[in-house]
Amino acid sequence: MIPIFDIILLVFLVVTALIALRVRDLLAASMVFGIYSFLICLLWAQMTAVDVAFTEAAVGAGVSTVIMVATVYQTARRSKD
Amino acid sequence: MKGLALFAVVLTGALLLYATGDFPAWGSVHSPANGGELSSHYIENVRTETKVPNIVTAVLADYRSYDTMFETVVVFVAGIAIIALLRDFGNGSRGYPPALANNLPEEPDLIITQTCNLVIPVLQIFALYVLAHGHYSPGGGFQGGVMLGASYILIALANGVEVAMKAMSERKIMLLAATGILIYSGTGLICLLLGENFLDYHVLSRILPTDPIMARSHAILIVETGVAVTVAAIMFSIYANLATRGTLKGGL
Amino acid sequence: MFEIAISIVSGALICGGLVFFLGAAVGLVRFPDFYTRMHSAGKGDTLSTIMILLGIALYQFHDLVEEVHSLQEFLEVFKIELLVAIKVAAISAFIMLTSPTSTHALMEAGYDDGVEPFTRGDDGANDMAAEEQVQKQVQKQKQVQVQEPEGK
Repeated sequence: MIPIFDIILLVFLVVTALIALRVRDLLAASMVFGIYSFLICLLWAQMTAVDVAFTEAAVGAGVSTVIMVATVYQTARRSKD
Repeated sequence: MKGLALFAVVLTGALLLYATGDFPAWGSVHSPANGGELSSHYIENVRTETKVPNIVTAVLADYRSYDTMFETVVVFVAGIAIIALLRDFGNGSRGYPPALANNLPEEPDLIITQTCNLVIPVLQIFALYVLAHGHYSPGGGFQGGVMLGASYILIALANGVEVAMKAMSERKIMLLAATGILIYSGTGLICLLLGENFLDYHVLSRILPTDPIMARSHAILIVETGVAVTVAAIMFSIYANLATRGTLKGGL
Repeated sequence: MFEIAISIVSGALICGGLVFFLGAAVGLVRFPDFYTRMHSAGKGDTLSTIMILLGIALYQFHDLVEEVHSLQEFLEVFKIELLVAIKVAAISAFIMLTSPTSTHALMEAGYDDGVEPFTRGDDGANDMAAEEQVQKQVQKQKQVQVQEPEGK
């Protein structure tokens, strides 16, 4: 529908996915993963799949980021590999 | 080894990119997902069969309700597994070191707690709105339940897990999580007892004061309530256990 | 006429919001330490988001006069558009509450963690220390920039 918007979203999606994989600081990685969830949510909203986008915003970007940050806090912040 | 992995990744990626050429155009009428008998049946008959304007909700909780029921069970099992792995009763039965020192100040910060006190009631009402309004707009049991659970997580973040535990004790969590599943599967069982298939809601019109079509619409709401209750309780339980290493004391 | 007026006002609001967004982003990059950066992000973000949302809420009414012919129809259209505008305004009220609070929470976490604020005192010793800190920060940033391709 809006190809240029789609392309920007997809490029950002790939970039955030790579950052989340490469960053050694796991807290930063979980934050970037939250951004990735928001971008996917935007992509789904743009495809008019609003129900899925809503679920992704609530679960992926909201609760699972909080849960991941809690896990990082109680374990190690630096990744070993 | 790394070169081999790179080769495998590049090869798979190239194959996938090559295969996208055969995909139908986005939103095409001829794509297999839109052309089948099943999806056209949903699109044409949802209004007359269930009187639910939002097709997604009707498919999720009525036509595919068996699927959704076990999705809820998956959430329940995940919560149980987290409790089984992490819950620490303080008798040293766990092999790992105790939770990090609780560095919450004695008095939780005034500004944060006051804002949370303002926001949380609105958040909970909005969660109930999302749950109840799922027939007409995007939303439903899962989203509403997650937001309801998130409101308790917000209490725990602002004041520490113990304060949130006063509103939602561990006993209550397990009770609510099991009750949600019970509501869902109980609805199906009632349908079975009334002489129809499992989760075939239209037969509920015999015990609800409505006609068979509206009975399906109302049963969707009942079932979604069950999903929301389970999801809310389990989300908070997962957070509380992960953030405190299972001691349920202190907080982030 | 009405449509043009609404478009101008809401467009001005949205553009003003974008200007403040730019200011917040520049401040986030250019300010010297954690606290000043949070200061710029918190204030700029809040104001710009509220302005953009208010512009969008106002823009809901842009076709109010164009399409309507009777009073009945006018009220009907007005009701629908007002509902959307109220929802957008509710979002901006929510942001007005939560965004400064989250900035405050981050600030307090930084303060509890012992993040040193950027100072440039009156006497020479302090000044020197501040200069040194700046130099160290610059060096650190350079190192980070060098290391960036491999991750931190």
